[in-house]
Formats: sequence, C-alpha cells, structure tokens
Amino acid sequence: MTRLHFTPPTWRRFAPPALAFVLVAALGAALLRPKDTSSGTGDPLLGQTAPTFALRTLDGGTLSLAQLRGKPLILNFWASWCVPCRDEAPLLREVSEQQGGGGLNVVGVLFQDPDQGRMRKFIADYGLAYPNLLDSDLKTSINYGITGVPETFFIGADGLIKSVDRGGLTRERLSAGLKTIGVTF
Amino acid sequence: MPVLLAVLLSASVLAASPAPAPLTPLQQAQVSRIGESIRCPICRDVLPITESGNDISHQMLAEIRAQTRAGQTDNQIYAYFRERYGQRVLLRPPVDWAGTLLWALPVLALLLGGGALLRYLAGQRRAAGVDSLAAADPALNAEDPEDPYLAEIRAQVQTARERRGGT
Repeated sequence: MTRLHFTPPTWRRFAPPALAFVLVAALGAALLRPKDTSSGTGDPLLGQTAPTFALRTLDGGTLSLAQLRGKPLILNFWASWCVPCRDEAPLLREVSEQQGGGGLNVVGVLFQDPDQGRMRKFIADYGLAYPNLLDSDLKTSINYGITGVPETFFIGADGLIKSVDRGGLTRERLSAGLKTIGVTF
Repeated sequence: MPVLLAVLLSASVLAASPAPAPLTPLQQAQVSRIGESIRCPICRDVLPITESGNDISHQMLAEIRAQTRAGQTDNQIYAYFRERYGQRVLLRPPVDWAGTLLWALPVLALLLGGGALLRYLAGQRRAAGVDSLAAADPALNAEDPEDPYLAEIRAQVQTARERRGGT
C-alpha cells in the first residue's frame, strides 16, 4: 500500500514563524514604548510648556512664571521637613550664586509645609537668597505632578520643561539637568 | 446704627465669593467614582485619594468636584490628572489597544497552544490506530509493487549484487 504523503498548504508552513514574529514584535513594541508619554523619556511633563503659576513669596510679594520668562529656570519643590532637601540645598545655593547674575533663575516652591518658622530657619541655615514661594492650595504642585519632595524642573528660556529630577539632586544630576537648559555647572 | 450695620453686612456678603452650587446626587456619584480611581500621588501604599486624607488628596478631590460642577466628563477629568502625573495616577488604567493586546495575548497563546496539542495528540492516536491495523493485517504492510522509485532501488541493488558476485 502506498502511504500518502500529505503536503501542508503554504500558509500553514508560514503560520508558526509569522505568529512568533507577531508575538515578538508586540512584546518589543510594548517594551520599547515610551512610558506614560509621547515625548519618549518617561515623564508626562517633559517637553511640555511649563504650567503657569502666580504664587505668594515668603516676603509677602507675588511671583509668576510670566515674570521669569526669557531665562532658563530651575524650579525646585521642597519642604523644611524633607531630609534630601537639606542635602541639595547647598548645591542650589551654589548654582544660584554662580549663575544668578547671568542667565539663570532659581526658584523654590514650598510643598505641604505648614510651618513658616521652620521654612525661614531652613532658608537662613542654608543661606538661600533666591525666591521661595508658598503653594498654599497645592494647585501648582498638582499642575507639576508632584509625587514627593524634592523634585526639580529644569525649564528652558522658551518655557518648555527640558528635564525633571524626582529625588534629591547630586552635583552630577544638577549638572546634567542644567545642561538640558543650556547652562554649564 | 442699624442702617450702618445692614450696609456693612450687605457689603460683606457682596464682597464674599459666592459659595459653589451644591452637587447633584449624580455629580456626587461621579466625584466618588473618579476619586476612587485616582491614586494618592505621595502615598507609599496604593491608596485612592478618597482614602488617603492628606492635603494634596483633598485638593485633588476639590479639583474633581470643581471640574464635575463645570460639566467635565469622567474621561476629561482622568485626562487632566494623567497629563500631570502620567498613567500611574490612574488606579484603573483605560482600555487601549496595547493593554488589550497584552491581556489577550496569553489567552490567545493558550488557545492556540491547546489546539495544537489536541491536534498532535489526535494525530498520534490516529497513527497508533493505523499501525495496529497494519500489524493485524500483513497485507497492509506489503510494499507497493507499483512504486517506481522502489523498483529502481531494487534494480540498482540487484545490479550491484551481481557485479560483486561476478568479480
């Protein structure tokens, strides 16, 4: 008796590798897909226009983002109860002193810090000469997607957020952030 | 004096910002629904803002109330928070093609794999059935005398034997 040799149709020969390819491609696309954002670098605010604000300063005045336009800006969210904020405060003072006269603004925003006495002491302890703002209703913190302190936004002279540092700054991280807004440190 | 007091009182009432209109039960339900789906951004544990009780969660709930009052839909309010905090702020991420694919792929793979396994097992059973039938009926095992390929091999073997025998 002759054994019939069954030849599968062409589509069936290509189906398993095609399926494997689709699976690998889907997994690859999912892995390589930028997290959260279309800007491709992980933070939803990166590359976006910095949210506007007009907040009261500790001295009783008001400072808005519009007043800071035209120069690169470091916007640092901090609190007097935050330990890593103490570690990065000397670096922020150094950069504000070094670059303040030139082309850089440094501004602090107090986050969930009810004790003005402690804030003032912190500012005096570290000799911070740059403005610090009170975000009493936390609207600015929400607009910047604050998830804790310290968090620092590096905003270019064009008003776009170029880099975000969530966590305490080191000299290297500060330098890397400043580089994105065209400032050497 | 009473007139002055009345003037002062009415002036202060006019100066005060009007209290926001109370939410309808439907709007209240929308606020609760959204609040339970938004994650407290500063909490270590995964908590909705309705349960965390910190200042920023209260403010986020106030924002949801204000947006609900302004007639924003659930999706618009979710988008508002997602634009600021990213996808991680949503406790129930929205259904999109990538998510659907990610959930569907294991199920699809299981179905395809199960199907392939069943077919393979069925094939094995069929082959075993044919073999046992062949063992039972020797005629089924007989080589096909019409097979030209087999005939050619036989002829070649025969020729080779003859040559060996002749030498």
